[in-house]
Amino acid sequence: MGLLSIIRKIKKKEKEMRILMVGLDNSGKTTIVLKINGEDTSVISPTLGFNIKTITYQKYTLNIWDVGGQKTIRSYWRNYFEQTDGLVWVVDSSDLRRLDDCKMELDNLLKEERLSGASLLILANKQDIKGALTPEEIAKVLNLEAMDKTRHWQIVGCSAYTGEGLLEGFDWLVQDVASRIYVLD
Amino acid sequence: MENEEEVLATSNEPLDPNLHKKHISMIERLSNRHQTRLDNSLARQSESDSSSTTTTTTSTASFLSRFSDSKRSIDSQLAQSRLTDPAQLRSHLDSISASISDLEKLVAESSYFLPSYEVRSSLKTISDLKQTLENLNSELIPKKKFSFKNKASKQDRDRSVSDSKQTAPENADSFSVPLEKLSFQVRDSPGLRNKNGETLVKNFKGSEVGEFTVSDLDSCEVRLIGSVRALFVHRLKNCRVYAGPVTGSILIEGAEDCVFVMASHQIRIHNAKGTDFYLRVRSRPIIEDSTGVRFAPYCLSYEGIEEDLRDASLDEETGNWGNVDDFKWLRAVQSPNWAVLPENERVGMVKISNSGDGIEGN
Repeated sequence: MGLLSIIRKIKKKEKEMRILMVGLDNSGKTTIVLKINGEDTSVISPTLGFNIKTITYQKYTLNIWDVGGQKTIRSYWRNYFEQTDGLVWVVDSSDLRRLDDCKMELDNLLKEERLSGASLLILANKQDIKGALTPEEIAKVLNLEAMDKTRHWQIVGCSAYTGEGLLEGFDWLVQDVASRIYVLD
Repeated sequence: MENEEEVLATSNEPLDPNLHKKHISMIERLSNRHQTRLDNSLARQSESDSSSTTTTTTSTASFLSRFSDSKRSIDSQLAQSRLTDPAQLRSHLDSISASISDLEKLVAESSYFLPSYEVRSSLKTISDLKQTLENLNSELIPKKKFSFKNKASKQDRDRSVSDSKQTAPENADSFSVPLEKLSFQVRDSPGLRNKNGETLVKNFKGSEVGEFTVSDLDSCEVRLIGSVRALFVHRLKNCRVYAGPVTGSILIEGAEDCVFVMASHQIRIHNAKGTDFYLRVRSRPIIEDSTGVRFAPYCLSYEGIEEDLRDASLDEETGNWGNVDDFKWLRAVQSPNWAVLPENERVGMVKISNSGDGIEGN
């Protein structure tokens, strides 16, 4: 038995999922991860590199890869694509000026073959800030309806600050991934 | 096991005793081996369950040996490239590229049990290999015309037709449309924009402003009294910006010859040149694509600032104003792009008020 098949078996047994969190800098990726893990979110420095969190969610183990979004390190995102089951694209809904950047980076990401099978959750974050665009507006700006029909996707408004919407989003993501991977259970 | 032997023995009744003995010993050996294998695999399983160090090291070691084997073979292939017949050069380089992506795949597949150091160093090795290959590619293969085409997709056009409210000036025939033109006409956020040589005062007290934008200012003084959730600063030249606490984050993009006095939970600074920052931050401020920026502690005062700072949990000096991360300088030695502002060059406490007159310094 090869090493890989052993790993696969263990993975299957433990119901692991690999979740990749990406998005522009300042969108709130790290805050979201810490918030759903119930950790303190009051002091978070911009991510230099990446963080990995293992979270038990329902009956699944999520390996969440939270990768820094600064322009300089976006080119490293590709190093994390392999074997991604769920992709979370985080948007700062209050950053109206950079929505173009946001759309461009997302479009590039979705062209990536290694991510073609991943379920896509778009979190329209910072809904608690007055003046933020609604999830519907974000969906329009990102032109989500035009996405490849084979892609499983969902957009959810949330606030990492209050925690609102986060569980709703991750519930969808986990269910969607589970229904594809653990279809036999 | 003994039962089995007997069965075997009886079924093969007329056997040479010698042969019989051999037979039994072989069965015994086989069953022993089977047992050990079972034990081993059980042990392995329980070890991997408790993620014991031995399994981790074995798998890491086996990964490392596989990795270095592949790397060696790729290295030698790369070295051969210069001697390869030009006619076959392309396929040769393609096969190297395939090997590199296989290697990358191996790392990705192993990444979940590898120590993060190994992941990082392996990825570094891979990117070096890719770089070498790319260099060889451009050196050995004559240039062919290559250009990106930014073709507006069909859906894009459909959208702009169906959704006239959001239409951006798009021309389906022209490729490489500049990004600015693709801009969606979303509503403007509250802010101060496009001014030259003015003193701009904004008091947020009592108003419910979420995010606020300060952009495209030249030679202005900006005073923001009170607290906002998020502050965006964009394209400022020769300006002074004094701001009360921001409870979320500040994003600065493009500042030249400016002075900023601001307090926030997070501060990101992009494309700043020759600019001084007097900051109070709960986390580490970061700079990217910036040069000649200097940092000092926050020094602002206006009536009621103590309360605003307290409400924003920014009443304590964290000392983080000097813990700057430079994303363009990922080394242990001090980045040449920023410095601590020498004490004798710092401005004193800056006192601002609602009135339009100049500020009081001391």
